[in-house]
Amino acid sequence: MADPEKLVFMVMHGPEFPEHASIPFVMAAAALASDVEVVMGFQGPGVDLVKMGVAETVHAPEFPPLPKLMADVREMGGKLLVCGPCCKSRSIALDDLVPGAEIVAAGRFIAEITSATSTLNY
Amino acid sequence: MTATLEQLETITADKVIDARGAACPGPLLEAKKAMGSVTVGSTIEIWSTDPVTKTDIGAWSAKVGHDFLGALAADGYDRVFVVRRK
Repeated sequence: MADPEKLVFMVMHGPEFPEHASIPFVMAAAALASDVEVVMGFQGPGVDLVKMGVAETVHAPEFPPLPKLMADVREMGGKLLVCGPCCKSRSIALDDLVPGAEIVAAGRFIAEITSATSTLNY
Repeated sequence: MTATLEQLETITADKVIDARGAACPGPLLEAKKAMGSVTVGSTIEIWSTDPVTKTDIGAWSAKVGHDFLGALAADGYDRVFVVRRK
């Protein structure tokens, strides 16, 4: 049996760019609904999106609010991986992140990306 | 599209999902959720005010293995029909 399809979404934009912040979650939710495994990776300013309470401030016009998108992705099994050094430089600890988010280092990102069907960068 | 407009008019869906007003990917996620609540062979009908829902649901059906029957224009929204096949 073929390996299941997997998409990795790398998120580099933070809450100051609501559209850039929302689109990867839209795509991730659609992928999960299409039986595609999803890993979302947050680096640079993107890590702020998974800091507790920040998503509630993001709502791009014509898109669902970010908390709804994030809840959909989490409910359908999407993984949220957050760059360790990016967290450290922002004094963000694991307890500051939304439930289910995991702080990882470069090796984990590379393992996820090299085993994915495709990787999309936002 | 696997059904004519005339045929679509005659369908009584096993489940109707009112996703009017929901932005992408809302209608798709509602369709996915609804598929889990009906048996194989059942027809679901999704109501959406987003004009791209009918093509989106069509592409999604082909991807995951359901039968997209087509869509009917209603009063300010589309009625989109899909048969669960797996």
